[in-house]
Amino acid sequence: MSELEPKPDRRRFSFRVARAFLITAAYAVFWLIIWFLTSTLLASFPEYQKLFSVIALGLLFFTFAIALAEGTIYKYILKIIRAFFLIAYLTYATNSGVLKVSFENLVFTVEFVPLLALIIVINLLEIAKGLLQAIEFAAHSPKD
Amino acid sequence: MRLTIKALGWTIILLWIFTLALPVSVAFSLMKLAEGRNLGIQEPTFMLSNGNISISMPIYVNNTGFYDISEAGVKIRIGKADKTIVTLYRDLPNIPAGQMVNTSCILTASLMEIFQKDCTLLTEDANLNVNAALHFRVAYAIAFNVAQNFSTRWGAPFHNLTYILAYDGATHTFSFSISFNNHAFFPLSGPFEIRLYNSSNYEIGKTSLYLDVPSGEFFQETVDVAVDPLGVTNRVLIRMFFADLHVLETEWILP
Repeated sequence: MSELEPKPDRRRFSFRVARAFLITAAYAVFWLIIWFLTSTLLASFPEYQKLFSVIALGLLFFTFAIALAEGTIYKYILKIIRAFFLIAYLTYATNSGVLKVSFENLVFTVEFVPLLALIIVINLLEIAKGLLQAIEFAAHSPKD
Repeated sequence: MRLTIKALGWTIILLWIFTLALPVSVAFSLMKLAEGRNLGIQEPTFMLSNGNISISMPIYVNNTGFYDISEAGVKIRIGKADKTIVTLYRDLPNIPAGQMVNTSCILTASLMEIFQKDCTLLTEDANLNVNAALHFRVAYAIAFNVAQNFSTRWGAPFHNLTYILAYDGATHTFSFSISFNNHAFFPLSGPFEIRLYNSSNYEIGKTSLYLDVPSGEFFQETVDVAVDPLGVTNRVLIRMFFADLHVLETEWILP
């Protein structure tokens, strides 16, 4: 660290961490409500509990990291990574848009490939937006 | 650039609203369709004509949902053990939102093709595996498929097919006493043929009789087959046919 650079403001950093925790906690409550609403209905889907934990924890991590990186270029990079994560996760978790549930002799299949394609398009737009925001942020940041 | 970012932001929000609203409204649409007497399937009827078996199910759908129902179809796959014997498929008409459609789902299969796939079904009762599936797409976006597996008992038309054979060397005549039970749900009517071959696979005689055996009835008859005395060998091959179907092939050694 150069001597000309200001020393890190610990109070400001602690405030930022606390703020990130609060935002993440609010999102955690939201995911908990979603869990209570869907767990009984979708419990029969294979690996539902595991898949739900992955998406909830993954998005909570990104919420915390993005809130912590507020005011830096990392915020936009994290948003782009989150969009990639959502594309990969949704494609895997939904078995490329075809879900199958079995109840004894009855097999129920839902195919929503067009909807998944739309979600992927949304996330690609999110990536484009993140890139543009990162470029704009870099352009407006004071140079060394 | 800010304007582009804002436009992208709004597009993303609108697309998310549409993406999340669509499955919810499709679910409500299906719930509306399921309630009351908007959907009905009447008792299926079985018909047999020209060697084809037809299953007819009158269906009515009153689409009270918000979206059109398209790509509707019924598929029935019948198999024995792991082998598929017949697959029946029928497309149903599209049902636009707010309209009622009365239709009949008719599935037809050729008995000849079924028996050619597995000729043991002619002579042996069996447990068949049936997979019946209903497929439809709502709002041209989300497709649903409901399939059920169950087993059904197949009654063979020539169940317990037996014959008692006697050869009269003086008249060169084979006398067959044939008996079987028609366990099939349909009556048997058509030509039944017995062909005899010598050890060189040369046809030495044949005879035919017309069968008319109602479902569930026992059949027994004696028929004579006059053979070419020069062609008779110690080993005789007996082949029985119903229509063009190979029912039985067996060997008989002259005493």
